[in-house]
Amino acid sequence: MGLFNGGKRAIQIGPLEYNKRLSFRLIFFVTLVFLYTPILTLIAFSFNDSRRNIVWRGFTLKYYEKAMDNDSLIQAFTNSMTIALISTIVSVILGAMVAIALWRFRFPGKASLEGAMALPIVIPEICMGVAMLAFFSRVGYPTNMPWPLNLGAITVAHISFSFPFAAMIIRARLANFNREQEEAAKDLGANEWETYRDVVIPYMRPGLLAGGLLAFTLSLDDFVITFFTAGPETVTFPVKVYSMVRFSVTPEINAASTVLIVITIALTVIATLMQNRAKP
Amino acid sequence: MESWRRNPFVFWVTSLPPTLWLLFFFLVPLGIIWVISFGEKRGVIDIEITWVLDNYWRAFDPLYLEIFWKSLWMAFATTAICLIVAFPVAFSITFAPPRIKPLLLLLIILPFWTNLLIRTYALIAVLRTKGMVNFGLEWLWDQGNWLLTLVGLGDLQLLGAAFDPLQLLYNNTAVVVGLVYVHLPFMVLPLYAALDRMDRSFIEASLDLGAGHFRTFLTIVVPLAKAGIISGIIITFIPALGSFLTPDLLGGTDSQIIANVIERQFKNANDWPFGAALSFILMYITFIALTLRAFLARGSSAMEAG
Amino acid sequence: MRNYGKRRFSRRNFLAGTGAVAAGLTLGPKMGWSQEEAQVNFYNWDTYIGETTLADFEDATGIAVKLDLYADNDELFTKLKEGNPGYDLIVPTNDYVERMILADMLEHLDHSLITNINNIDPAFQEAEFDPGRKFSMPYMWGTLGIGYRKSAVSAPPDSWKVLYDSDEYAGRIALLSESILEIGMKYLGYSYNDTDPAHIKEAEELLIKQKPNIKVFAEDNGQDLLASGEVDLTMEWNGDILQVMEEDDDISYVVPKEGSLLWQDCLCIPKGAPHPKNAHALMNYILDAEAGAAIADYIYYATANKAARALLSDDYNMNPAIFPSDETIANCEPSVYLGEEVIRLKDEALTRVLAG
Repeated sequence: MGLFNGGKRAIQIGPLEYNKRLSFRLIFFVTLVFLYTPILTLIAFSFNDSRRNIVWRGFTLKYYEKAMDNDSLIQAFTNSMTIALISTIVSVILGAMVAIALWRFRFPGKASLEGAMALPIVIPEICMGVAMLAFFSRVGYPTNMPWPLNLGAITVAHISFSFPFAAMIIRARLANFNREQEEAAKDLGANEWETYRDVVIPYMRPGLLAGGLLAFTLSLDDFVITFFTAGPETVTFPVKVYSMVRFSVTPEINAASTVLIVITIALTVIATLMQNRAKP
Repeated sequence: MESWRRNPFVFWVTSLPPTLWLLFFFLVPLGIIWVISFGEKRGVIDIEITWVLDNYWRAFDPLYLEIFWKSLWMAFATTAICLIVAFPVAFSITFAPPRIKPLLLLLIILPFWTNLLIRTYALIAVLRTKGMVNFGLEWLWDQGNWLLTLVGLGDLQLLGAAFDPLQLLYNNTAVVVGLVYVHLPFMVLPLYAALDRMDRSFIEASLDLGAGHFRTFLTIVVPLAKAGIISGIIITFIPALGSFLTPDLLGGTDSQIIANVIERQFKNANDWPFGAALSFILMYITFIALTLRAFLARGSSAMEAG
Repeated sequence: MRNYGKRRFSRRNFLAGTGAVAAGLTLGPKMGWSQEEAQVNFYNWDTYIGETTLADFEDATGIAVKLDLYADNDELFTKLKEGNPGYDLIVPTNDYVERMILADMLEHLDHSLITNINNIDPAFQEAEFDPGRKFSMPYMWGTLGIGYRKSAVSAPPDSWKVLYDSDEYAGRIALLSESILEIGMKYLGYSYNDTDPAHIKEAEELLIKQKPNIKVFAEDNGQDLLASGEVDLTMEWNGDILQVMEEDDDISYVVPKEGSLLWQDCLCIPKGAPHPKNAHALMNYILDAEAGAAIADYIYYATANKAARALLSDDYNMNPAIFPSDETIANCEPSVYLGEEVIRLKDEALTRVLAG
C-alpha cells in the first residue's frame, strides 16, 4: 500500500483512510448528534416530574415505578417479544427454504414465485393490515384462546411480511456460493442431507443471521399491521405505546422506552464481549 | 441451476411450505382486498361486490393525483438526502480500523431499535417551539446580545427585539426531517455492505493513475457498489412512500400524503372499496419503480445480489 | 458482521425466550376454560376512567378488568366492524352508538342487571339516538370549545371567528382534526348536522382560506400544544382543557356564541362479547353514585349520573366549563349520524382542505 501524500497535512493520512479525514469525521459526528439528540432528550425527560412532560419540573424516579407496575405495559412487552421470537424463527426457516429453491432450481412458474415474494416488501403496510383484518374475520379465526395461542393471528401476519425480507437477504448470500463445494462434498460421499448440513448451511449462516435479525426488528417494531390484527389480550408494545401516547406523552412512556433501550444495549454489549472472547 | 426434475424431493420440500404460506396468508387476504376494491358500499358496513371500476376512476381525480405526486416527491427527497448523508457515513465505517467497525455500525443502528413512535415523539421534543434546538439557539442569541452589550452596541438591537424561534415543526420540512431520521440507518446498512465487499485495489489504482477522489468516487466506487446503492434506495423509498405516522405526527396543515388518505378511508370515511383501490394504485406505482430498477441493474447482474 | 451478528442473535433470543416462557407460566393458569371467567375486557378512551375505579371494582366483585385504549370513535368502529375481537364494554359517542345500532353491532342491554339505572339524570334516561336505552347507558357528556392562553390574547375570544376567519393570531392556532367542517358550518350559521352540499362546500372554502393561519390540525392533543406554548388558541373538548387548566392557571375555556357540539359518551356492550354478564356488572358499578362521583372528580367531565353529582362539591357542579349555562346548551347541538353518503362527501371535502 503506497502512502501517497493525500494532501498538505503534517500528518500523512493514506489516500484510502477516509475515516481520518476531517470532513468525513465531521459528517459522521453531525449524523450521530442528529440521531441521538432526540433519544437523549427522551431519556432525560423520563426523569421529569411532570404529568404533561413539556417543561422540566424536577427530578423523580416515580415514572419508572409506574412503568414497572403497569401490568398491561409489561404484558404488551412480553407479547411483543414472544411474537418477535416465533416470527423470527419461522421466517428464517421459510426464507431459507425458498431461497434454496429459487437459487438451485429452474421450474415453471419461477418468475411468478419471485414476483409473489416481492409483494410483501412492496405493499403499503396499511393495506396489508386491513387485508389481514378482513382475512381473519372472514375465516373465523377464534379469538378467545389462552395465551400464547391467541397471539397466533398477529404472529402469522408478522411471518407473512417478514419471511420475504429474510429470503431476499439469504438469497443474496447464496448467490456467491460456489457450487463446486457442494459437488466436492458429494464426490466425497455425502448424501443430500449431509451436504446441506455441513456445507451449504454453514455458508448461509451470516445470511441466516442477518435475515433473522431483520425479521426480529421488523416484528418488534411493527405497528400498523399489528394494530389491525390485535385484540384485547394481544396488545403489543408499539400498539400499547401508541394508545398511551395519543393523548399526551407522559414520562411513563419515556421510562419504558429507556428501559427498552438499556436492555438492548446491555444485550448487545454482552453479545459483543462474548464474541470477542470466543475469537482465538 | 438445475431443473427441478433432477431432484424433485428436495424441490418440493424447499418450495412447498413457503409457497403455501405465501398463498394462504398473504395472497388470499390481498385478494380479498382486491375484490373489495371493485365493490361498493351498501348501508353502514356491508360491501357489495359489483365489479365496477368506480373506485379507480375516482382515484384519478386531480385531487388524489396531486396527493400521489406530493407523496412521490417527499419520498424522493427523503431518499436523496439519506443517500447523500449515508455515503460519507458508510465510507467512514468501511475504512475504519476493524476493531472499531462493529462499534460504529452499532452506533448507527441502535436508534433503529427504538420504537418508531417514541423516536418521532422524541424528535418533536427537539424540534418544537420550546424544544432543544430553539433552546440552543435562544441561548446563543442571549450570548450574542451580551457580547454586543459589552461592546456598547446593546441598544441597537442588532439581533432583533426578541428571540424569534424557528418554526421547525408542523410543516413539510419537519416531515422530511422525520422521514430521514427514521430511514437513515436503513440506507447506511446496504451501502456499508456493498462498500465492504468492494475490492479496494480498484480505488488505489485509480488514485495512482492520477484521478482525484471525487472522480474516483463517481467512476469506480459508484458502479461497483451499484447493487448496494439500489438496495438502499429501495429500502428507503418504498417505506417512505407508504408511511403515514410520521406525516401525521409531524406535519402541518398541508402535509397530507397518500398514505394518510388511505388510512382515513379505512377508518373515518369507512369507505373500504375506495381505500382498497387507492392502496392498489400505490402498489402499482411501486411496481413501476421496481421495474425501472430492474432495467437499470441489468448491466451489473454479476454483482447484483438477488 | 458475521460472527458478531450470530452471538447477538442467539443470546438475545435466549433471554427473550426465557422471559416469554416465564411470563407464560404465570399468566397461563389465570386463563381458565370456564364458562364466563372472572374477567371483563374494557375498551375505553385514554384517561377516561377514575384513578381507582377498576381496582375497586375488582375488589368488590372479584372480576378482573383488562383495559385497552383507543384514540377515537373511528378506531373503535373499524376494529369492531369486521367482528368483535373480544371486547365486552365499549364507550362510543352518541352518533356512533346510532351507527352501530343500525349496523347491528350492539347487544341488547338487560335492564334488570343494571340496578343503578335510577341514578341517571332524568334528562338522559331517554335518548333520541337510542329510544328506550335498549343498547346504551349514558356516561359523560360535554361540549367542544376554544381553549386559550389568557396572557396571549387581546380579549377573551367569544366566537369561532378567531379560529376560522381571522388572522389575528396567525400561526398560533390549532384546530381539532375532527368536526372542523361541522363547526365551520356552525360559524357560518348553519346547523352542525347540515347535509346540504353547498353548505359543506362553503365551510370547506372557509377553511382553505384560513389554512395559512392555522398551525396544525391536532388529533387529540390540542391541550398539550396549548400547554407547551406551541399554540395560543385551540379547538378542544372541554374536559381536555380542564385537565391542563389544573396545571396552568393561564389557560381558560369558552364555548363560542355561535354554538357548538354537545356530545354524549355511552357505555355499550358490543355483539359477540365473551363476558356479557360481567360487562353488565361493570356498567352497573360505574353507574353507582360513589364510583361515579370518584370518576367525575378525577377526569373532570360532566357526568350524566345525578346521584354522583349530589356527592360532589360546588367546585365541580358550578364549574361553567363542565356544566355550561342553559343558554349555552341551547345553542349546542348533538351530532347525528347522517348516513354514509354524507360521510363520504365530508371526507372528500376534508381531503381537499388538507391537500391545499
